[in-house]
Amino acid sequence: MVESTQALSMKRTREPRSNRNLRHLIPMVIVAVAFVALWELIVQLHIWERYLFPGPDDVARSLLDIWNRGLLLRSIAATLVRLSVGFLISLMLGAILAFLMVHFATFGKGIQPYVLGLQTFPSIAWVPLSLIWFGFSESALLFVTIIGSLFAVSVSFADALRTVPPVYLRAARNMGTDGMDLILHVTVPAALPHLISAAKVGWSFAWRSLIGAEVIFATVGLGFLVNQGKDFLNIAQVMATMIVILVMGVLVDRWVFSRTQEWASRRRGLLPSK
Amino acid sequence: MKGAALKLVMLGKRFTRKTTRTDALRDVNLEISEGEFLTIVGPSGCGKSTLLNLVAGLEEPTTGWVEMDGHQIRGPGADRIVVFQDAALFPWLDVKRNVEFGLRVAGVRRAERIKRVGEYLKMVQLEKFARARVHELSGGMKQRVALARALVLRPRVLLMDEPFAALDIQTREEMQSVVQDLWLRSGTTTLFVTHDVREAALLGDRIVVLSHRPGTVSAILENTAPRPRTLDNPEVMEHIRRSNEILKQEVQWSNQPKL
Repeated sequence: MVESTQALSMKRTREPRSNRNLRHLIPMVIVAVAFVALWELIVQLHIWERYLFPGPDDVARSLLDIWNRGLLLRSIAATLVRLSVGFLISLMLGAILAFLMVHFATFGKGIQPYVLGLQTFPSIAWVPLSLIWFGFSESALLFVTIIGSLFAVSVSFADALRTVPPVYLRAARNMGTDGMDLILHVTVPAALPHLISAAKVGWSFAWRSLIGAEVIFATVGLGFLVNQGKDFLNIAQVMATMIVILVMGVLVDRWVFSRTQEWASRRRGLLPSK
Repeated sequence: MKGAALKLVMLGKRFTRKTTRTDALRDVNLEISEGEFLTIVGPSGCGKSTLLNLVAGLEEPTTGWVEMDGHQIRGPGADRIVVFQDAALFPWLDVKRNVEFGLRVAGVRRAERIKRVGEYLKMVQLEKFARARVHELSGGMKQRVALARALVLRPRVLLMDEPFAALDIQTREEMQSVVQDLWLRSGTTTLFVTHDVREAALLGDRIVVLSHRPGTVSAILENTAPRPRTLDNPEVMEHIRRSNEILKQEVQWSNQPKL
């Protein structure tokens, strides 16, 4: 049976990888081209002033401009550093909170409604408090990023931990596993595909919170570039940066999360093996 | 390692949920000698699995206690290993790592682990599948891995909880002879729970018939048929007939309207 499965999967891998990747990108490219065409069409109708509603060519020029001035790379770097630090802290705190919620059922029941409420709480509403506590600083941006994603991370981590079939835990306890070993060697690997989905949810919350906060009060970063464009009535820069933010969202989702998710699922046969 | 002697004393288990109480097991007294193969058969819901879980230490008894070689059991331990109905292999590990799991927990050194895993995979004839993933295995192969994972720890008591209930009939019969062979070689005290009287009569030195809920011992049959046995052995067939009779009475009795 194993041999036949392997034989099948061998056949599947014969197709060159690069070809496949390019082919599945086609629909995405078509949508992008259609979007730009529609955009250009609207611009050609001259409904709005060009400086309020720039065309694709203006935005492309602006993109080139912020790239040439080194502004774009610097902004991306600043934003990504904040995101990584903030998101990692949020993952760690979220994991602890989720574990407490699952392990101590009463505590979980008591805190769950508030955590759910805080999860839907708009992260921008934390900005005033953050500014008063931390001033116009990196810490203030990190605070918004963390607090904006922490509760989503906790809720989805807790849900992920609850998916672990009890029979795995019984089998492991039966073989003498307990305490931290049980968590690290059974609970976490058993919940891994769900934990990755949970992290994916968390990252999107962190990303939105951070960009939002940057728009309001950062002095460097992608959010800041958007806001600067507005201040100078440089709408092309606003749009160019928005496109960069969008593309980065897609890339992180595809390259970081979808890849790891696929890997984790494939390993246990939830997807056809490569 | 030699099998252990077990003693179940006034063993009872009651599950309490918000408003309902269920007596799963009541006043079970059993003595199992070193190296014995004891099968436990009973209708579904008679507390068979609960009995195994109590011996495994995965659940606490409400009344009574379990002794192993004269010492009361408190909590789970690798000296009493359960083989679960659905194998309960870890899908994030390959076959080899599944079998190795308990040894790692016990802190056995690498060289020794590799040697023993190889030895037991060979014993269940799966050495070629060491690197296979759990989802690539058939039901019977999964149970072989589960057996290897249990036996590699050289437990003193092997607890089998309807391990072959989900298998097709051919695979089940094949697995029954695998278990019989392994038991003859290892001499591990074995408690084998099943709802299949044929399986119970084929494998057991003694067959314990449990009554419907709450589970109590309604009969113990001695089975002296020589091993290795097959289902067409006359004594085995006679035990199948007798256990069936007792079970039928149990089921009829439990279906009577209660006043």
